[in-house]
Amino acid sequence: MIARASRVASTGISFAVFGIAGLILSLLVLPFVRSWPGTAREREFRCQHVVRHTFRHFIRMMVALRVLDVEVRAEEQLRQPGQLVVANHPTLLDVVFLVSLMPQADCVVKREAFSNPFMRGIVRSTGYLPNDLGGALISAGAQRLRAGRSLLIFPEGTRSSLSALGPFRRGAAHMALESGRPLRPVVIRCEPPSLMRGQKWYDVPERRMHFSIECCEEIDPGDVVGATENRGAAARKLSAALRDFYEKKLQTPGH
Amino acid sequence: MAAKVSQSEILGWVVEVFQKEFDFGGDELQLDTHLIDDLDLDSIDAIDMAVRLEERTSVTFSDEDLKNLRTIRDVVDLIDGRL
Repeated sequence: MIARASRVASTGISFAVFGIAGLILSLLVLPFVRSWPGTAREREFRCQHVVRHTFRHFIRMMVALRVLDVEVRAEEQLRQPGQLVVANHPTLLDVVFLVSLMPQADCVVKREAFSNPFMRGIVRSTGYLPNDLGGALISAGAQRLRAGRSLLIFPEGTRSSLSALGPFRRGAAHMALESGRPLRPVVIRCEPPSLMRGQKWYDVPERRMHFSIECCEEIDPGDVVGATENRGAAARKLSAALRDFYEKKLQTPGH
Repeated sequence: MAAKVSQSEILGWVVEVFQKEFDFGGDELQLDTHLIDDLDLDSIDAIDMAVRLEERTSVTFSDEDLKNLRTIRDVVDLIDGRL
């Protein structure tokens, strides 16, 4: 009971620190870093570097406060440039983990992040892409992949509910097909389930959260989709195969 | 003067586009079939649908048109009204 109360307090402190750090980054640090000379790409990469290291420290703090522990498998696979990384989205912290693990990542984020005072400075200075651009998002994403940048997308578009993996949007599949790049799936598990959609941050579980992040082998669109299929049908097939992959993976526990 | 194209003929074109573009079976494609709820059409699919129908019918679809389409009947009616 005392341990749980202590974790509620530690979780509260962690999110308060995250909010304050987000504001400081947005209002002070990133505008300064972005103002240094360089191309747009160099400026965005510098800001992504700052965000990545901030997120790393944030995770270290949560581990030190015994809010969670984390195990990452095949982390080296996330260090390759020009990857289209997709992940399931069980918790609030998924993007923090993945950004902290990838040397460079252009995230596809909800439009609301661009008006959230804690997040807007981050998403604007890092060149992250809003997820409501339709066809323009696919073109922009594919162009970035071809230019050697890595993209991070959560195909569910929002956090999973407690009961099940959500439906998959087809943007990642479209980008893979348009760019010719494979999908790099990452499976995120959190035991006991916490910080999911519908759960409050203070609904901390009986024991410390254990995160398992598993980087899996790439899925080549060519292995799933026939060469002559239309774009719409091909994206549906690839997206269904990706969701099927996650359904199967999530039936097996992490370690 | 060109003969008026019937609604059933337009429905045939629409069904053909959905079958070819998205691999749907004919049974799934009725006038009251909902584009999002039943066919899971997203914004990119809607553009692909519009491009194929424009090629077939020469009727152009604006972004506003695409936003307002709910069912296959809406697609058929829109084409019918502009032919």
